[in-house]
Amino acid sequence: MSKQFLEDQRQEERVGTFADKQDEDLFVVDTSLQNTKATVLSVKQKRKMNAKKPMRSHQALENTSKVQDPIAKRNHVRQKKNGRNIELEVCNPTKPRHRQANSDRAQYYVKLEQRLADKKNKKLAVEKDIWQEVDFRDEIPGLKDEKGWISRDLALHTAGNIGKKVVKTHASLHHKTTKAKKFELPHPGMSYNPAPEDHQALIEQVVEREEGIIKKEQHLKRVTTSMFSKVTLEERDRRRLKRNEPSGGQKAEELARQTELKRKLKQQTADLIRIKSIRHELDDEEEDLNDLKKRRKQRAEKAKFEPKRLGRHKFEEPDLDLNLPEDIAGNLRNVKTESSLLKDRFHTLQRNNMLPTTKLVSRKKSKVKRFERNSHKEPGVSYNDLKERRRAAAAAAKAAANIKI
Amino acid sequence: MRRPKKYESGEATQYISRRAALRKLQLSLNDFRRLCILKGVYPREPKHRRRAQKGSSEIKVLYHTKDIRFLLHESIVWTLRDYKIFAKKSNRDRAIKDFRNLKRRLALFPEIKLDHIVKERYPTFIDALKDLDDCLTLLFLFSTFPSLHLIPREQSNLCRRLTIEFLHYVIASKSLRKVFISIKGYYFQAEIKGQKVTWIVPHYYPFKPQSRQEVDFKVMSIFVEFYTIMLGFTNFRLFHGLNLAYPPQFPSSVLQDSEESLKDEASFVSDRIAALNFELLRTDKVQEDEEELDIDMELLEQDGDSKRIIKMKQEAQEVSRLRTLFKGLKFFINREVPREPLVILIRSFGGKVSWDSSIFAGSTYDEGDETITHQIVDRPSISTQYISRDYIQPQWVFDCVNQRQLLPTNKYFIGETLPPHLSPFVDSKRDSYIPPEEKALLDPSLIETHVQSDDDSEDEAQEEEETVDQELLDAQLQLAYQQETAEYKKFGGPDGVNEDEEDPEDDDDNEDDDEEEEELDEKTKRLQEEKQKMSVQSGKVHKVNKRQVHKAEVDEHRLQARMVKPRHRNLFRKLIREKQSKEKEEWLLRKKRRTIEASEKEARKTAKREARKEAAAAAAKASKLGK
Repeated sequence: MSKQFLEDQRQEERVGTFADKQDEDLFVVDTSLQNTKATVLSVKQKRKMNAKKPMRSHQALENTSKVQDPIAKRNHVRQKKNGRNIELEVCNPTKPRHRQANSDRAQYYVKLEQRLADKKNKKLAVEKDIWQEVDFRDEIPGLKDEKGWISRDLALHTAGNIGKKVVKTHASLHHKTTKAKKFELPHPGMSYNPAPEDHQALIEQVVEREEGIIKKEQHLKRVTTSMFSKVTLEERDRRRLKRNEPSGGQKAEELARQTELKRKLKQQTADLIRIKSIRHELDDEEEDLNDLKKRRKQRAEKAKFEPKRLGRHKFEEPDLDLNLPEDIAGNLRNVKTESSLLKDRFHTLQRNNMLPTTKLVSRKKSKVKRFERNSHKEPGVSYNDLKERRRAAAAAAKAAANIKI
Repeated sequence: MRRPKKYESGEATQYISRRAALRKLQLSLNDFRRLCILKGVYPREPKHRRRAQKGSSEIKVLYHTKDIRFLLHESIVWTLRDYKIFAKKSNRDRAIKDFRNLKRRLALFPEIKLDHIVKERYPTFIDALKDLDDCLTLLFLFSTFPSLHLIPREQSNLCRRLTIEFLHYVIASKSLRKVFISIKGYYFQAEIKGQKVTWIVPHYYPFKPQSRQEVDFKVMSIFVEFYTIMLGFTNFRLFHGLNLAYPPQFPSSVLQDSEESLKDEASFVSDRIAALNFELLRTDKVQEDEEELDIDMELLEQDGDSKRIIKMKQEAQEVSRLRTLFKGLKFFINREVPREPLVILIRSFGGKVSWDSSIFAGSTYDEGDETITHQIVDRPSISTQYISRDYIQPQWVFDCVNQRQLLPTNKYFIGETLPPHLSPFVDSKRDSYIPPEEKALLDPSLIETHVQSDDDSEDEAQEEEETVDQELLDAQLQLAYQQETAEYKKFGGPDGVNEDEEDPEDDDDNEDDDEEEEELDEKTKRLQEEKQKMSVQSGKVHKVNKRQVHKAEVDEHRLQARMVKPRHRNLFRKLIREKQSKEKEEWLLRKKRRTIEASEKEARKTAKREARKEAAAAAAKASKLGK
């Protein structure tokens, strides 16, 4: 017989067997509600529940002793609180500053609620007529009365001392700085289905402008690059030496001076004879000067229509929009649009002297050569190796894509 | 006396560099830029840069010192400074995760108030209207933008709302005048309170990203910020002027930015168009009063002789006709046609418009409606067609508006090659030479006569030149008669006829006489009796003494020249010279054309004659051979 059996038997003798027991002793009827599930608390909720409990660190201070306090009545020493009791000030204000603060706070919340309501109703701030004629006396209470005790002059005087000062706008602020049209109307050749003559006229304009640009470029090239010939270094040195060679010496210089003097004297005597022709020359010169004046005036007049130089960069006229003859579809479905309207607007602002011409400067990141620590190095592969590999892979992918197309 | 130092007076003190301005205003560069754009303070170019920059010759951005001093008084400078405080406080809240406070703070974000600036920059309402061109173009452009890095979704939504409101005003007031389809976009011109307002609506295409290299988005966004406020105030006043409720109420189905419409750009756009197809709520129940215009014109009637007044009257007449151009017409737009510009046009001239309800929202009737008069189609052919309506291409609507009359639809039928779309911004009544082709395009009545005369000349080529001349003369007479009647219709009376156009009147009289002669046979007796009863003598043809007229003109001109003030003499001379040169140029061009046409005609004639000769010779040969 095993030990287990004996144990069981002893238990039965002590408590009794299952058969002896009544049902009521063994089972209990479940009277709780059926549908309640065990609620699983989220972390946040648990945290909140725990916050309500007394702090663990304060547990040591709690009096758990069952021995009664020998002193029946203890004097509680109330510590004086530091600072103000804001709650008290709000609930029962005693001083004027408390009342002021309360009213301020109320105003703040009124404003806040108004803002939130406007946002909810999508109300704009523009729903009033700002160009309406307003009597300044309406805005300041006490300046208008029916009996006529307050004259307009008096009201004006009072308003001058009470109301907000009006800052006078400087007149030059509204002056136009360019004579060019603010909003350019389209050339008839820009129609989606233009008349041939109009289109031709537009093309001619574009060609003319392009030719001007080419001419300018050629000029610049002529007066800079092609002015100098390329020579070898030896040749250059040879030429320089040749230029610096001493000339005839003092005697030759003296001779040159003499001849120059002679020439001058001769010229002066000759001038006496040709007074008449000199007068003509003077007249010509005057005419030239007048021409110059005229041209300067014209240039100044033209400059009035051109954009001003406001910043470091000069404004360059953008290209005209043009549909080439083969792009004109003749129907609205296949219109080929030429320009970006946003760019066009931006250039108009610059042309009207409202924005200085700028260019986006992107700062180049300085090239950093990276080294890997020896301890992190994998044998055989360096950081630069990896980079090169990546690049090669990208190039291969690109090439593959190109072939597909 | 203290010795004056360099750069303490004059140009050096008039200008201030941007850096110095920043220091003076205590603002960051970004804030300063914003402030300047909002206040309308722009950089200046000095006359002598070196002097203005106190000796330095590099090119700096300069401002007028007075402008900057003016900015110092601005109240929004404080708001701009408040931003800094706001950022600090809200960042702190965010860092310590005090979201309750953060929420409250965000709701009370210090917003810039711009109404006093709008009032300051545009002291009167008309000033604001004058500057509306740029504003509208920019807002129409921004209303198509998705949310971008520097352009928040609210901004483009606000732009969309304001532009729709403005379009509704244009539709309700019928103030649209001109429209032009260019490769840039649709140009619209409206006349509001006597001001011409022009704007561009971009062609609808999916948004193309713009590189930052070319356009500074931040700056454009600030301009848009100011313009939205300005257009808002303008809209408010315009709506109230028309007794319309502001803000306009749209049905709940449109302009609600649901998740779906924000994701799908096509539905976003179709929402915008659907909002245009609704009548607005009026604050009063009275319909528009169109009599007002007539009264104004009648006041002018008293001295109705001068050319300018006649021109004005004509203009007013045309405009009143334009306002009801599409009244009673019903349009249906096929789905391949861009709807937005067409809806604006048709609705603003009194027409009704709808589209396919299965694809786009906001349609009012479907394709099967038998009362539809025009269907706008932009494809070469269509399978099911109704007999009761015209199938036209969209250009018809645009051309009708520009010519201010309903054009014959046959040139714009489906599949036809369209006539060129001319710009309405080029004055068709300009003084310079207008080639007859362009004239024909402008006035379709001229086309038929032109063709007719050509046909006649070809038919009667055998006759002598005199007969041809006669024919031409007849055609011209007919043309003159047509003009006459057109004029008559326009003015509603013969008193409006210009004194310059007396010759056609004479021709008219001639024709009338001819008709009378024909009728004479039928009613001779009765007429004779009547003639005997009434002492009316037969009318005489009024002959104009051309020499006398010319003399009178010259005299008048001399008188005019004498009356010009001495200080305006040069200007007067210049004007006269310009006029003369223009006339000469026109005359030259016309002469050139005439000679070219004559030579062409001659060539054609000789060719025909030769052909006939050859044919005769061949016939003779054949007859000979036959014999």
